[in-house]
Amino acid sequence: MNKISLIIKREYLTRVRKKTFILSTVLFPLLYLGLIFFSGYLANTSGPKLNLALIDSSGYFTKARIDAANQKDSFTLFTLVSGPAESVKNNLKKNGFDGYFIIPDSANWEKPLKNITVRTIRTLSPAGAAPVHAKLNSIWNELKNDQLGIDADKKRILETSSITIQTADLENKNSQSGIAGIIGSIAAVLIYIILMLYGSQVMMGVMEEKTNRIAEVIVSSVKPFQLMMGKILGIGLVCLTQVLLWIVFILLIYNVTALSGSGDAMSGMVGQIQKIFTGTNMTLIVFCFVFYLLAGFFFYSSLFAAVGSAVNEDMREAQSLSFPLMMPIIFSMLIMGGVIKDPSGPLAFWGSMIPFTSPIIMMVRLPFGAPGTVAWWELGLSMSILILGFIFTSWFAGKIYRTGILMYGKKPSWKELIRWGFRKN
Amino acid sequence: MNILELQHLKKYFASQKAVDDISLTAVQGQIFGLLGPNGAGKTTLIRMITGIFYPDEGQIFFDGKKFDPINDVGAIGYMPEERGLYKKMKIGEQTMYLAQLKGLSRKDAMARIKEWFIRFEMESWWNKKVEDLSKGMSQKLQFVTTVVHHPKLIILDEPFSGLDPVNSNLIKDEIFNLAKNGTTVIFSTHRMEQVEEICDHIVLVNKGKKILDGSVKQVKQDFKEHLFSIGTDAMPELTDHAPFSITGQKDNTYIVKIKEGKKPGEILQFLLQQGADIQSFNEILPSLNEIFIRQVGNTPAARQFETI
Repeated sequence: MNKISLIIKREYLTRVRKKTFILSTVLFPLLYLGLIFFSGYLANTSGPKLNLALIDSSGYFTKARIDAANQKDSFTLFTLVSGPAESVKNNLKKNGFDGYFIIPDSANWEKPLKNITVRTIRTLSPAGAAPVHAKLNSIWNELKNDQLGIDADKKRILETSSITIQTADLENKNSQSGIAGIIGSIAAVLIYIILMLYGSQVMMGVMEEKTNRIAEVIVSSVKPFQLMMGKILGIGLVCLTQVLLWIVFILLIYNVTALSGSGDAMSGMVGQIQKIFTGTNMTLIVFCFVFYLLAGFFFYSSLFAAVGSAVNEDMREAQSLSFPLMMPIIFSMLIMGGVIKDPSGPLAFWGSMIPFTSPIIMMVRLPFGAPGTVAWWELGLSMSILILGFIFTSWFAGKIYRTGILMYGKKPSWKELIRWGFRKN
Repeated sequence: MNILELQHLKKYFASQKAVDDISLTAVQGQIFGLLGPNGAGKTTLIRMITGIFYPDEGQIFFDGKKFDPINDVGAIGYMPEERGLYKKMKIGEQTMYLAQLKGLSRKDAMARIKEWFIRFEMESWWNKKVEDLSKGMSQKLQFVTTVVHHPKLIILDEPFSGLDPVNSNLIKDEIFNLAKNGTTVIFSTHRMEQVEEICDHIVLVNKGKKILDGSVKQVKQDFKEHLFSIGTDAMPELTDHAPFSITGQKDNTYIVKIKEGKKPGEILQFLLQQGADIQSFNEILPSLNEIFIRQVGNTPAARQFETI
């Protein structure tokens, strides 16, 4: 036992002391936050400002209406022009327009106005066309209101009298499925990234030992299984350190901004986070997150270690051999959307039971509520299967590792690896 | 006292009988040469002695007791042919780590590492990384990591490859020193002149079987062809009752083969009686190199795969 702790210590210290560890620990959350803010910023501000010429043959679209609409919504600009379509079209650039459209004289306020074609110089994406669509509709509604004699008061009644519904299951007073989905996918993405990054770190570490030929020196002092487990546990601790640092980091930002309480974007986010903390069983989720992260890591990393022990220097060999291991991890991400839609359906259930996908899929389901969406027995069963799973994979991988680490030459196939794994003695 | 005793060791792999019934004994303080062509099974044999492989059959006794890999590896030092150290790890830390893996406490390890580093003039290396070292330097470091825990048995696989004569001698002296202080050294190599110089006892393996076992002197005696070289200006005419026959001549040196049942003294006696002027007379013993080639030379250079 003493020897394995020496190995763990070495693996841990050499990694934690590296500059890349410190950098990635600090930079990753910053990058992640930056990405969220940046994409939000992009979505809010930089929509293309369209200036469209409007040729009205129906007489419904008066200059007053269009000006009022332009004032309310300045993302797109409509300008009433007269004259034949052909000349407007030819002079678009000269007059500073991006495009034009025609309201036909057949337009009738009692009937829907269909198939207005907006012709633009540059191709307009569906997302780019949406504001045009919305603006036209609001003008059209305004027009209908006027024709029907609905004034501002009546309009307010119309708009506020809609029915809203809320979903709640039997155990939880209210399940906030939107927030649950967000927490679930954040947890899933984190586990996905960590499994991939740290899994391949284990693989690279084993490959390094094999190609440096230090493995033979070490296995003459300790058992190969101890060397493998020491490496996995050491790297697992590094991973845990990083995640705990991130959690501390988040709590720190949360407290600091909550204290300052200013109305900037940060505290808006904090308000959101606060809502999440109060709305869900955060203790359970954090506990399960750490459990599934570590158990999933142990489940996969011993297999990654086995692959690392089987290949030689060649990175391509390692990639082709480790691809089958990455498949189920990627597959979990693919079915995540389906699980969020129906967190208690059969896909979600089986996904959270099978140990290849359960670390990610169970974390997607859990925020929807336990014991509401995920029954206690399901959670217990899933955890037990995963624990049994990683005991099996480390036993199995240990045997592959023992053979592979001292074997040089041709890259074995998965079939051969499995034969090594099931060989007696 | 026997430090190591192997009894009928066997290890079969899927396509090869790597070690096929080998027994041998090494006593305390002996420098033991383990010889054999490439692929003879030396590495497999060594891996069983170091506890990396379990034998399929047979017994290993270490220091008088049945070999217990988990506890006994602390008393064994092994330097594999393919050297291995962590390239990115600092040298001091690395030596400390390997010494602790052999079961030394931090304090003991520190004292012994310092002692060796001073002896090999490596003190300034402590905070350097292995990747900064030349091949010869890392070889010295590897040797230190092999012996730092004062093992009872040291196994060196080609310890001199890549070393210049000065550093070779340094390590050779240390090997003699260790043996004098009671450490058994198993020395695996292809370099026969080094074996002749260093080893007390040799074992030759080929195709997984032991084909020779004995002291260097004894093996040479066993393989001698009863040849003598005689330096003389004029070889007298040989009569029927001359105790030898001439098999070769180069300038003034004659190679002669002694007849069955005759003694070397009789050759001299005969020559003196004939009035020959003898400048030199000595027995020609085969070098280990010749014995090696004679013993394994007729087998195919590459070992063939076989089905078991």
